[in-house]
Amino acid sequence: MNSLVRFWLGFTALMVGLMVVQAAEPKWEKSVVTVEVTFKEYDYFQPWTTPTRSVRKHGLVVGEREILTTAQHLPTETLIRLQKGGRGKWYSGKVTWLDPQADLALITSEDPTFWEGLKTAELADVVPSAPDFNLVRWRDGNFESRRVEFSKFSVKDGALSYAPRLTLELNTELTGLGWAEPVTLDGKVAGLTTSKAGNTCNVVPAPFIRRVLEAQRSGQYRGLGYFDFTWQPGENPTTLKFLKLDGPERGAVVIKVPKRPGVEQVLKARDILLEVDGFPVDVEGDYLDPDYGHLLLENLSSRGKFAGDTVVLKVWRDGKEMTVNYVLPEAKYHDELVPREVFEHPPEYVVAGGLVFQQLEQPFLRGWGEDWRRRAPFRLQHYQNDQPTPERPSLVMLSSILPDPVNVGYQDVRMLIVDQINGRKVATLADVVAALKEPKDGVQRIQFMKGDTLQTILLDAATLDEATQRVLKRYGLPADKRLGKS
Amino acid sequence: MISKTLVVAMACLAAFALNASSPERSVIQIQTFSQAPQFDAPWRSETVRRAGGSGFVIKGRRIMTNAHVIAWAKQILVRRYQDPRPYQARVAYVGHDCDLAILEVEDPAFFDGLEPLDFGELPAVRSTVVTCGYPAGGEQISFTRGVVSRIEIQNYVHAGNRSLLAVQTDAAINPGNSGGPVLQDDKVVGVAFQGVPGLENAGFFIPPEVIRHFLKDVDDGKYDGFPEAGINMVPLQNPAYRRYLGLGDEGVGARIDGFRAGSPAEKVLKKDDVLLEAGGMPVGSDGTVLYRENRVSAATVFQSPQSGESVKLKVWRDKQPMELELPVLVFEGDRLAGNQHDTPPRYFLYGGLVFTPLSADYLRTLGRERADSSSSSMYYELYFRRGEDPEKLRPEPVVLATTLAHPVNANLRVRGRALVDKINGVRINSLDDVPGALEKNTEGQHIIEFLGQGGFETLDREAAAAATQQVLQTYGISSDRRL
Repeated sequence: MNSLVRFWLGFTALMVGLMVVQAAEPKWEKSVVTVEVTFKEYDYFQPWTTPTRSVRKHGLVVGEREILTTAQHLPTETLIRLQKGGRGKWYSGKVTWLDPQADLALITSEDPTFWEGLKTAELADVVPSAPDFNLVRWRDGNFESRRVEFSKFSVKDGALSYAPRLTLELNTELTGLGWAEPVTLDGKVAGLTTSKAGNTCNVVPAPFIRRVLEAQRSGQYRGLGYFDFTWQPGENPTTLKFLKLDGPERGAVVIKVPKRPGVEQVLKARDILLEVDGFPVDVEGDYLDPDYGHLLLENLSSRGKFAGDTVVLKVWRDGKEMTVNYVLPEAKYHDELVPREVFEHPPEYVVAGGLVFQQLEQPFLRGWGEDWRRRAPFRLQHYQNDQPTPERPSLVMLSSILPDPVNVGYQDVRMLIVDQINGRKVATLADVVAALKEPKDGVQRIQFMKGDTLQTILLDAATLDEATQRVLKRYGLPADKRLGKS
Repeated sequence: MISKTLVVAMACLAAFALNASSPERSVIQIQTFSQAPQFDAPWRSETVRRAGGSGFVIKGRRIMTNAHVIAWAKQILVRRYQDPRPYQARVAYVGHDCDLAILEVEDPAFFDGLEPLDFGELPAVRSTVVTCGYPAGGEQISFTRGVVSRIEIQNYVHAGNRSLLAVQTDAAINPGNSGGPVLQDDKVVGVAFQGVPGLENAGFFIPPEVIRHFLKDVDDGKYDGFPEAGINMVPLQNPAYRRYLGLGDEGVGARIDGFRAGSPAEKVLKKDDVLLEAGGMPVGSDGTVLYRENRVSAATVFQSPQSGESVKLKVWRDKQPMELELPVLVFEGDRLAGNQHDTPPRYFLYGGLVFTPLSADYLRTLGRERADSSSSSMYYELYFRRGEDPEKLRPEPVVLATTLAHPVNANLRVRGRALVDKINGVRINSLDDVPGALEKNTEGQHIIEFLGQGGFETLDREAAAAATQQVLQTYGISSDRRL
C-alpha cells in the first residue's frame, strides 16, 4: 500500500469517527441559555451612590426549571433576564440559590413558556484529561462550538474566594471567555468557564459542581471548607532531617497555624504533613489523585468534603507519627481582617461632620482599578497580611472628608485607620456610631492608629449634627449612614 | 616692601574687578567616572558611568558642587574656564542630606588666577538670578536667566528622605548644571541642584542658608549633617481644637501631634503642646514661619542650628504659655530608608546565601512589585515599623538577597527577596548578628527563619561551611563579607 492510499484510508476513518461523535453530541443550544444580569457595581469612593451595570453570561439547564451559572455578578443583582435560542424574547429570571465562595448559582424562571424546548444537560462524573474539549456559547445570535485545548488540572482560588478547589485549565486564543460558557466532552458538560488570563481559560469542573449541587439539593451543603494553616514543600532533605523524619523523604512542612477564636488547633508549626485522608503527601505538597493525577494537597479540603467535615491528617511531630482529626473551617469573608468580598449588604458608611468612615474592605482597595495592587495606598493594603483578633475583628478608616466649616483644617486628611473615638476602641461602623454619642469636654476625639501619620483630630460636639445635615444637603447624600442592608 | 604689598593689593583688586564682571572664570566644569554597587548582588558593581557637572571656586582653594555630582565617583576631573587641561580632584567633604560637596584639586596650580566667589543672601521672590554651568547640549559654559519663583521646603531627591529649604526658579536647570552657581549681582545665591519631572520651567537651587550651614558644619573637619526636631507638627486651624486648647482664632500656633520614638523632643514637649514661637519666630497655625518675606515650614527653624545646639521655643501648654529649649540632633536611624552613597552595601556570604541590609536601594531592585507578602513585609519594615511598632524595630533589618547555586543550597525554595527573622534562634537585628549566629551554631543544621509567612530554610552546617570558599571561587567573589 503506498502512502497516498494509506492517507486516504486514514482520512476516511477519521471522518467516520467524527460522524459518530457528532451523532452522539447533544444539541447544546437547547441546554445553553443567555443570562442577562443587571447588578449594583458600587463606587466605594462614594458609598452612598448605587451605580448599576449589565452583563450577559451563560446558563446551563441542569434540572427541572433550574439553570446553573457562575455566581459572579449575581450577589448584587437587581434584574435577571433569560433568553433561549440566542435571540428573541427575554424572560424574567430569579436566583434560587447562590454561593459566591463556590462561584455557583442556580436561577429559575416562573414563566412556563421559557422552559418549552429546553433540555437538561448532563454534568460529567469525572473529567478525563482529553487533548481537546469543546466550548459552546451564544455569540451575536448564533450558537458557536469551538475546540479548545486541554492544558492541565490545577488547584486554585475561586474567582470570588480564597478557598482553593480543582480547576480545569484550557488553552485557547478565543476572546471574551469567562462568562460561564459550558465546556463539553463526549456529550457531557465538563465544566463552566470562570475567568481567562492570557491564553489560559479557567473552568470550574463538573465533578466539583455536581458535589456542591447534590449537597445543596439534599440540604447538606455547609459551604466550602479550606485548610487555614500554611505549609511549605518538604523538598529540602536537610529540613526533613532537622525535623528528625524517619524513612523516605516525604511530606509538606506546616509553617504557620493561625489562632482562631474558639478553635483548638490540632496542627502545630513544624509538623510534617504525611497523609491527608489517606493520600500520601509528597515533598512538593502534592498527592496523587486517582482521577486527576498529581494535585496540590489543598484540593483535599474540597474533594468531596465541605466545611465542618473532618479530614484525617497523619503528621510527623517530635520524632514520631501521629494522626489528628482536622475539622474544615468554613471559608467566610469576615474571617479576614480585610474581607475580600462583602455581599450581604451595600457598602456601609457613616458621615459625621463631613468625615466619611468606612470599613476597610478589599472592594474599596480595588477601587484603584485593575492595577490596584500597585496603586492603592500601601499601608491600607498591608493590613491584608494581618489576622483579625477578638479585640479588632475588622478595621474602620476615615476614608475622606467632605469639606465643611466644622472640619476646617482637616480637609486633606484621608485613608487613615481609626483606633479610638472618644476613648472607645473602634472596629466597626456600629462602634463609630456608638462612640460618637459619647463626646467628652465638648469635643469628639478621633484617634488614628499609631504611626508617623496624623494621630488625633477633634471636632466640635455641639454643632456636629447640624454640620452633618449641612454636609448631606450640600453634597447630595441620601443619609448620614448606611449600616447593614438599610 | 611697601611697593611690593601695594602691587599685590592692586593685583587682588584687579582680580576682584575681573571676577566681579566675569564670575564665569570661577565656574568649574566637572567630569566624573562613577560606579555604583548592585544592591541585590552587593559584591558586584554597575558598569562605570561618565557624567558631567558644574562647580565653582570658594574660599580656601576649594570647589563647591553637588553631592550627587560626585557620588560613587572613582575619578573626578575638573577643568577651568576655557582651559583644556583636566585636573584630578578629590572629595574633601560631602553632605548627602543637603546635596553639597567640597572638592580639593591635587595640583594647587589649578587655582592660580582664580578668585573665589562670594556668597550673597537669600534672593527675594520675583528677583532675577542667573545660573551658570556646563549643562548637557554643548561643551562651553552656559548662562540662563530667570526669576525666583518661590522659596519653600522641598524634598532633596539625592538623599530621598530629607527636605530642606530650596528655591524654585524658571531659569533652565538641566543635567550638567548641577553644582553650578546661581548668581545675583555676581554673588552666589544658590547652587543649582534639581528639577522636577513634569514641571515645566521649574528648576531648584540650594539657598545660601543651607550652603552656610554646610560650610560651618565642616569647619571642625567633619560633616555631621542637618539636625531635626523629631516632632510631628500639624496645623492647628480647626476652631473646635483651638477652643479645646484654650486658643482663639489668632492664626498662631501649630500643634505637636507626635514624636519620633527616642527623640529628645519626647522629654521636652508633650502631645497637644502648641508651638507659638520657634527660634524667636512666631509659628502660624499652618505650621509655617515668616522667614525673609516668605512663609516656610517651621521645620526650617530646627534645621538652622548645628547638631547638638538648641532652639528656643515658646509653647502653649495647659492653657498657659511657657518657654523651653529643645536640643536638635542629626537623626541617622532612617539612613537605610534613603538613598545610599559612597559606602558600598554590607553583605555576608555563607554557603551561597548572600545576606545584606534591607534598604531603599535594595527594594528598588525588586521593581515595582510590592504586592506579594514578602515584598510587602520588607516595605513595611523599612518605612512603617519605626513609627507604628518601635518596640520591635530592628536597627538594620537583613534580607536574604540571593542564593548562589551550589549543591549545598540546591534544595532551598526561598532563594532570595526574603526578610530574615532569626538564624539558629538568634533574632537578627543587624547584619553584624549574622556571622555569629551561623558560626557559633554547633547543631547539624542551620535554621534560617523568615518574616512574612513564617517559612524557614535549613542548611547542612558542615557542608555549608565547606561550600563557602567554593562559591567564592566559582562566582569570582573576592571576599565572603563586607561588614
